[in-house]
This record gives sequence, structure tokens and C-alpha cells, in this order.
Amino acid sequence: MNLKKILRDTWIIAYMKSVPDIKRQPLMLIFIVALAATPLFFIGLFAEGGASGETFRIGLIGVMVSSIGFIAISASIQDITWDRYVKLREMVVAMPVHPLSYSMGLTLGYLIFSFPGFIAFTLYGIYLGIFDLFSLAVVVASTILCWLALSAIGFTIATYQHKTSPNTLGIIANMLSFLFVFLPPVYYSEEMLGSMSWIVYLLPTSNAAALMRYSANLTEWNQTAFVLHWLILIITVIAFTLLVIKMARWREP
Amino acid sequence: MNNHSQQNAIVAKGVSKTYEKKVEALKNLDLEIRKGEVFTLLGPNGAGKTTFLRILCTQLMPTSGDAYILGDNVISDPEAVRANIAMVPQDAMAYANFTPWDYAYYFCLLRGMDKATSKKHAEDSLKAMLMWDKKSTPCQSMSGGEKRRALIAATLASDAQVMMLDEPTSGLDAIGRRNVWSALRERAAQGKTIILTTHMMDEAEMVSDRLAIINKGQLVTVGTTSEIKRQVPFKYRVIVPENEIDKSKFSDITKIGDRLVIYLKTDDEAIELVRVMLKKNVQAEAAPVTLEDAFVRLAGGELE
Repeated sequence: MNLKKILRDTWIIAYMKSVPDIKRQPLMLIFIVALAATPLFFIGLFAEGGASGETFRIGLIGVMVSSIGFIAISASIQDITWDRYVKLREMVVAMPVHPLSYSMGLTLGYLIFSFPGFIAFTLYGIYLGIFDLFSLAVVVASTILCWLALSAIGFTIATYQHKTSPNTLGIIANMLSFLFVFLPPVYYSEEMLGSMSWIVYLLPTSNAAALMRYSANLTEWNQTAFVLHWLILIITVIAFTLLVIKMARWREP
Repeated sequence: MNNHSQQNAIVAKGVSKTYEKKVEALKNLDLEIRKGEVFTLLGPNGAGKTTFLRILCTQLMPTSGDAYILGDNVISDPEAVRANIAMVPQDAMAYANFTPWDYAYYFCLLRGMDKATSKKHAEDSLKAMLMWDKKSTPCQSMSGGEKRRALIAATLASDAQVMMLDEPTSGLDAIGRRNVWSALRERAAQGKTIILTTHMMDEAEMVSDRLAIINKGQLVTVGTTSEIKRQVPFKYRVIVPENEIDKSKFSDITKIGDRLVIYLKTDDEAIELVRVMLKKNVQAEAAPVTLEDAFVRLAGGELE
């Protein structure tokens, strides 16, 4: 295994799977940013304190998570399915490209795709004074873990559902995106759920959002919960990556 | 490559593939394909051609048997095999936002070429496929034939030693097909081995050095076009209206609607039949048997 070639191929695939789309369909980028920001718009309009209130700040963290999360889960399912459908994957298999480069390239491609929106929202958060150096470090680390976890979950679904039609998987992907991004406590604090606040531990998106809220002092500090959120994110990444490695095949049996 | 001739690019030994539900796609297939030749796999739908190509391209595991590409074992050493192959799959579609340049250039980079070499190969192959003018056009704005040519250009740009093309010219117009044939012959002249599958007999005849007929997962025959034509026991065919002839006088007849294709073994038989037809004022012409005639016969097409 030539590590230099694996990394080079990863970058080429990531570039191929993101830059042509960004260049030729920039509207898609705006759509993703707009989709992530829509709840924030309503929070700013209707929540207590408007755009300067705490709810708005919590909502901004939700936008940052969803700008990465929505595309990570949706694209990882749809890309693998679509690549199989258009037979790009078959062409790549017949090349000296390691399967690891392919999956890492796809994953990195989503990050490139969602990067402009994420950076814009982060800069807005800095402008509002939500983030200091510590919270920025937490934002970056938890975002990366959330992105890896969602991509791994997406790959696992696409791998196990290899006989499901691309259209059906596309619908499943969009439904999962809503389930992961808009329903759990991502745009809002888990405290609003009362006795159901444990839901915050279930999904990578809500774990990442909770970590960011802790680091930005938008939730009452709880060291155990802080550590638990990290652990869950890390375990999710490892577990789903192992599942993908076990099940993903470059060659059909 | 101890047991395999240095002349062979591909050696398949007893390759079998049984899919789920006990569908036998390939049965004990033995085949040798020489270096630098254009080799065509001919067969009816479902004959096993694509299955065989996918096994060679390390995309599919055979149920049993072995295959080697340039001495590397397809089953046990797929990474070595992948360094020497490139493929255009059947029914492959182009990404809407990719341009022909994206395909050719990035595929070259993925094969390990540096940027300058990749640019050179991409340019050469796009020019060979008459796609240079459209190199920056997203595939979503191109016709089906142009998209197909973009994918073929990406494969040709790879400079792989063995290129496999599964029905490469389906959907192309006559000029596009000839263009592809010309590019494939040029690559073969440079020492590359080209394997293609096709349903088009004129394509197989025009472009192949040798071809194999596969039917129901089994190798029926292999050879040059002339060798395969010689395997059928007749020399000429005459097409006549059904109601103009006494069928009982002929042993090899194929019915095509209201016409009969009569196969004849000797010059004399052919001349005599044409003479009789002309006497009845019926247009008839004796033509040499075609590859399609041989294919239908050898692949098990029914004769009346």
C-alpha cells in the first residue's frame, strides 16, 4: 500500500466530486446554505431576544452543524448509489486506485462542498462573540467527528442497501437528513426536551451541537456530559467505519 | 508468468460464474487473448460476455477457475491487474457536471501519471475521439453519442496495456463508430490489447483481429473472421421471396418474415438458384456468407 498514492488519489477524487459541481452548479451551494439557515431565520424573527438573543446563538450553532451534516449523510448515500448506477465506480475499480482513496475522497468531497457555508457561519459566530479560541477548537474537532460519523453511517446504509434503487435511496437519504439535522436538539438546547433530553446523545449531529453549546457557554457546564458526547462521537465514527470496512467490497462476490 | 505464453495478454482457465438463484453465467470458459490484438467477444444477450469482462476487470469474483492478465492473477493479485487495465462498462453514463476533459485528465492522474503527461494523454485521446472542441462542455449539454465518446476517450487516455470496452459503440452514429474503430486499431498497432464486446457483426468484422463466440456461458468458437466463416458448411446465401421457391429442395434455410435466406454449399448451386429466380423475373443475388450467418448458426440460431 503506497500511502502517498492513496493520499494523492483521495485528493483527486475529492476534487472531482466537489469542484465541478461547485463550478457548474453554484446554486446547489446556495441551496444548501439557505436550507441550513432557514430555521435560523425564523428563530431570529420569533424567538425571545431576536437576532441578539441566546436562542439565536444556539440556532447559529445548529446552522453550522447542519451545513456539514445535511450534505454528509445525504451525499454519502446518494453518491455511492449514483456512482454504482452510472458505473463510475466500475471504471474506478479498473484502475490502480485503492478503495480507501475512493471512500475518503468522496467523504472529503462533501466537506469541500459544505466548507464555504460552514466558514461563513463560523465567521458570523466569531463576529457575534459566541466563540473564543477554546470553543473554536471544539467546533473544528466536533465538526470533523460529526462529518466522519455521518459519512460512515451514509456509506454503511448505501453498502447494505446495494440492491435498493437509486431513487428510493435518494428519498431515504433526504428523510435521514431531516431526521438527523432538524428533529434532534441541533438548533435548540436539549433542555427544551425535559425528560426526553437523553435524545441529545443519540445522533452525531446533536452530540456535536451539544459540544459546541458547552464550549460557547450556551448551556450550563456539565463535565460528564461533555466527555460523554466526545466518546459517543468517537465510538460512532469507529463503529460505522469498521462496518463499512467489513461490508464494503471493491469486488462483488 | 510461468505457465503462460509470453505472447498472451489474457489467459482464462476454466472460468465459471454462478450467480444467486443458480444462474450459470459462465461455464468452464478457456480463452487466450494475444498481446496487441483487437479481440471481440460476440454472443447473444445474456451469453456471459459482460460477466467475463467484469471478472477480468476484478469487479466480480468467479465461482471457479483462474484468469491472468499479463501474467498477474485476476483473483489473487487484483492490484497488480488494475495497474494494467482500463474499462468502459456497458451502459455507463456520464456525470452531468463532468466535462470530457474532467474525465480524461483526472482519470490519467488517478492512474499515477504526472500533470504534464496527463494533459498530453487527455488531449490526444479527446482529439482522437473528435471531442477536443467539446472538451470543456459539461456532459449534461451533450448528446448521448458525445457522452459515450467522452467515456471512451477517458479509457484511451489511460494508456493501459489492456483496454476493455463493453459495447463501446452502442448509440453512436456511423461516423462515430468508425472513429472509435480507428482509435482502437491505432492503439492495437501500438501494442495495446483491446477487448470489446458487441452485437454488431460489421463492427466485429471491421475491427477485430480475432473473435470468440460465446453462448449460454460457453465458448462456441474462436478465430479470425474468415476462420469462423469457414466453420459453417456453406459458402453462399441467396435471399428469395418465400412463395417463389420449393423449400423441400434445400436443406439450410432461415425464414425472415416472407423471405427465405437459402444457404448453399457450392458455386454451382448458387448460380443455378440465381438463374432460376431470374428466369421467374425475381431479383436474386448470391452473396458470400457473412459473419452474422456464421454467428447465428454457431450460436445456436434456429434454421428451418
